[in-house]
Amino acid sequence: MTSEEIVVSLDEVRKEFGDTTALGGVSMRIRAGEAVAVTGPSGCGKSTLLNMIAGLDRPTAGTVTVRGEDLGRLTETGLALFRRRHLGMIFQFFNLLDDLPALDNVALAGQLTGASARQSRIRALELLGELGVAARRDSYPAALSGGERQRVAVARALMNRPALLLADEPTGALDSRSGEDVMQMLLDLNHSGQTLLIVTHDPRLAARCGRIVEMTDGRVSRERTPERAA
Amino acid sequence: MSAVGTAARSIVRRRKVQTFVIALVVLFSTLTVVIALALLVAASAPFDRAFAAQLGAHAIVTFDRAQVSGTQLEQTSGRPGTVAAGPFDAVVLEVPEDFLWRTAGPLVVVGRPGPGGPVDRLDLVSGRWATAPGEIVVNYPAGGGRPADLLGVPITATGAPTLTVVGFATSMSGSADAWVAPAQMAALHPTARQMLFRFSAASTDAQVAAGVDRATAGLPPGAITATQSYLTGKRAFAAMADSYLPIITVFGLLGLVVSVVIVGNVVSGAVVSGYRRIGVLKALGFTSRQVIAVYLAMIATPALAGCLLGAVSGALVAPAILKIAFAGIHTGTAVIAVPAWVPVLCALGMLVLVVLAALVPAVRAGRLSAARAITAGSAPRAGRGLRAQRYLAGLPIPRPVSLGLGQLVTRPGRAALTAVVIVLGVATATLSTGLTSTMVAFAGLDHGDGVPVVDVVVGSPGNQHAVPERTDKQIEELLYAVPGADTVTARALRQVRLLGHPQPIYVNFYRGDTSADAEQIVAGRMAAAPDEVVTGPSFLTQHGVAVGDRIILELGGRRVPVTITGELIGSSPEAVDATWALLDRLAPGTPAVDYTVTLTPGADAAAYARSAAAAEPGIMVAARGPGNAATTTIVTFAAVFTVLLGAVAALGVFNTVLLTTRERRRELGMLKAIGMTPRQVVTLTVTSVTALGALSGLLAIPAGIAAHRLIVDHVGVVAFPESMKAVWHAPQLAALAVAGVLIAVLGALAPARAAARLTVGEVLHTE
Ligand SMILES: Nc1ncnc2c1ncn2[C@@H]1O[C@H](COP(=O)(O)OP(=O)(O)O)[C@@H](O)[C@H]1O
Ligand SMILES: [Mg+2]
Repeated sequence: MTSEEIVVSLDEVRKEFGDTTALGGVSMRIRAGEAVAVTGPSGCGKSTLLNMIAGLDRPTAGTVTVRGEDLGRLTETGLALFRRRHLGMIFQFFNLLDDLPALDNVALAGQLTGASARQSRIRALELLGELGVAARRDSYPAALSGGERQRVAVARALMNRPALLLADEPTGALDSRSGEDVMQMLLDLNHSGQTLLIVTHDPRLAARCGRIVEMTDGRVSRERTPERAA
Repeated sequence: MSAVGTAARSIVRRRKVQTFVIALVVLFSTLTVVIALALLVAASAPFDRAFAAQLGAHAIVTFDRAQVSGTQLEQTSGRPGTVAAGPFDAVVLEVPEDFLWRTAGPLVVVGRPGPGGPVDRLDLVSGRWATAPGEIVVNYPAGGGRPADLLGVPITATGAPTLTVVGFATSMSGSADAWVAPAQMAALHPTARQMLFRFSAASTDAQVAAGVDRATAGLPPGAITATQSYLTGKRAFAAMADSYLPIITVFGLLGLVVSVVIVGNVVSGAVVSGYRRIGVLKALGFTSRQVIAVYLAMIATPALAGCLLGAVSGALVAPAILKIAFAGIHTGTAVIAVPAWVPVLCALGMLVLVVLAALVPAVRAGRLSAARAITAGSAPRAGRGLRAQRYLAGLPIPRPVSLGLGQLVTRPGRAALTAVVIVLGVATATLSTGLTSTMVAFAGLDHGDGVPVVDVVVGSPGNQHAVPERTDKQIEELLYAVPGADTVTARALRQVRLLGHPQPIYVNFYRGDTSADAEQIVAGRMAAAPDEVVTGPSFLTQHGVAVGDRIILELGGRRVPVTITGELIGSSPEAVDATWALLDRLAPGTPAVDYTVTLTPGADAAAYARSAAAAEPGIMVAARGPGNAATTTIVTFAAVFTVLLGAVAALGVFNTVLLTTRERRRELGMLKAIGMTPRQVVTLTVTSVTALGALSGLLAIPAGIAAHRLIVDHVGVVAFPESMKAVWHAPQLAALAVAGVLIAVLGALAPARAAARLTVGEVLHTE
């Protein structure tokens, strides 16, 4: 892996919802192996930014390039195929499928890329084991604690060995202990090479990442590299 | 298994109520449609097929022998668009005694060299064709059996040599009652000549009439004595099934509509309540197509099961219903069966329909933007119904109640879907209970309101029973003398010629108490004078006559003009009812063939039957059971369908409300967070549903009543009197309305209470 490879590249990305300007022209680059934290007050456009990178929504203006692919040129189907192969996503409220047990929730992502159900289950179980929730493999999301749910969600995001892991307030719905566990887990993943983009409004969590992008009112107001992580 | 399969299967497994409702609704609808279609097909297709196979005659034209010669008629052959057979000599013989299975009366005999030819190719059912003098072939009307043991029976007609039956043949055209060799005809003194025609275009009455005009152009005016169109026979064939068709078609259509709306509703409900799930699937990398596939696959499993089970049970049930529907109809060589393609087509058609119904919400799900689905969830659009909400909030009613009403305003789409299901459910229940009531009243006609009735049939060679020693009058006296008798009605039956029509008709002559018949009059009045008759709607339409018209009856050379004074609720398309006085004019001395004895209330019908039978071995006596087979069937049918359609409608309502309420769990939790008590949460939910249920009921009940009226007014062979159409009573309607609301409340209550019991933490946790 070349650490110089640019995974994400944003150029003057704007996003408007009616009268509201959620993003007012954002440019940034993320290199392979980086752990980037996006912080800022609520409503400053963090989630919108993440959605742009994930191809879940399209910018009003500007270009989003991920792994050399200009997302603006992709059709909806093209975006879906791109997402399943190159991206992993984690949400504040987990967004697991309530109707599937933990293991199947994780395995589903593998099946999407064409892996057999058997192969997918084996890898899913492996991931659940690595994240310490293998014992809950047959539980439905409703029966899991918040921390457990987020671990399952992380396992699901890692299923297809994504080039980029996107996390939107991954600790926001967790108590401080579980939040700390999940955060540590994500950083461990980064140490073993996983490119990471975390949205958080918690400056202490942000401080543990390699680079911090601070946003205000839909713009990048400051970028810095914390001492400790550098 | 593929990702789509896994996702779809997980939803099916976890949404058992939904899955079950879809399967049940589809099963029932398929069953209804199979029966309806089987009847429709059986009512016309077998006749058409058998008729086509025989090259049946589109028109049978009878000419006066004195006015037109055989040579003149031969010249009519070969005209463009026309295929002709004949001329054949014809005569109407009078048979004074019952013979074979037929009653005494006229017998149309035609001289034909053989059963084949270019038109009306007869099927020889048994025996052989008549070739020598003294031989006759008789038209065998009922399909199936082979009457071999009746060969060799002699027939003695007035003024004719004795003829021996050498064969039985079937004519789908109904060209004659019997055939002899042409050489035999001279001895029978023919009076008419018969021509059989096929036309290139003959699908309407007008086309057949035009064909006859073309074929007979240039012949002496007044030479034609009778013309018979095959359409008359075809209609008679379908008449019995026709009486079921409007009702069965309605049930079939209802089943279809109910299933499409409820399946559409259930699926769109699943889509709406699964908003977030769709967002998650998309974030994972499901394409729009795959999301659509997940939702289609989710309903495909129960829909497939429902279609298969429905088609199989329909294929099993339909033949029994057909058998009853066609009992007593001259089916000729037509085979009454359910073709295999009927259930197959219904199953496939229903599957396509269900998939189409599911496609709309599924495509909507596929198009949903992932970001919106995840973040916005199913929140109502901002600002919608804000003013209505504010207004309601200002009303002097408890806040949970006004909030509940407000929900109808903020989510009009969801409210409309729920309302559609409730309206459909209540209207269906109203319509089906109404139809059942009408049919029950109709069936009740025959067995006079609980008064015991005994049927007495006089023994004869025709029914293979001992012939009585007593005369007609003596039997009547005996029946009055046996303890328990109240009134005795005697009936005689004769076949009589109807002038201007080649086919003879039946006349029932009644003596004694005819008050039971009087109850069946729907228009005009009972026959009272000797020159008056009454008949049913199918006789009127098939012979092109109306109440008030005069027709001329002829029997044994006696002609009596009679007036149709009234219309009966229903009767055979070939029969009229008259008084005994008319019999005295047409055929004096004819004895009764059966008697109907009404007993005094509370008398033991079985005991009466035993005593009467012991006193006279020449009669068959039986206490009458409730209703007749056909009406019993349709009443059972209507009742079963009412229960099933009602259950399906109830399930649909229940399911819709359940989904709506479950979807709002988080919202309800939030209301608790701001201080609402669990009781208030339940009140709120139930209020919105009750309002919706009541509103829908108000729409649905008049709709159901209107539909019922539409149907009972258009049943071809039964003219229901007003008393049978007005089946509605206030308490019954109120019960229906309450039922609609109750079902809706029941559907809302369970999830509302579950939501009310959750602590706020749990609600937020589960999200
Ligand atoms: N789907 C949407 N429709 C309308 N406005 C939106 C939508 N999504 C986000 N916004 C607006 O865009 C701005 C940025 O939102 P968001 O990116 O969610 O902020 P953050 O995640 O930083 O809290 C906010 O003002 C929000 O109201
Ligand atoms: Mg956010």
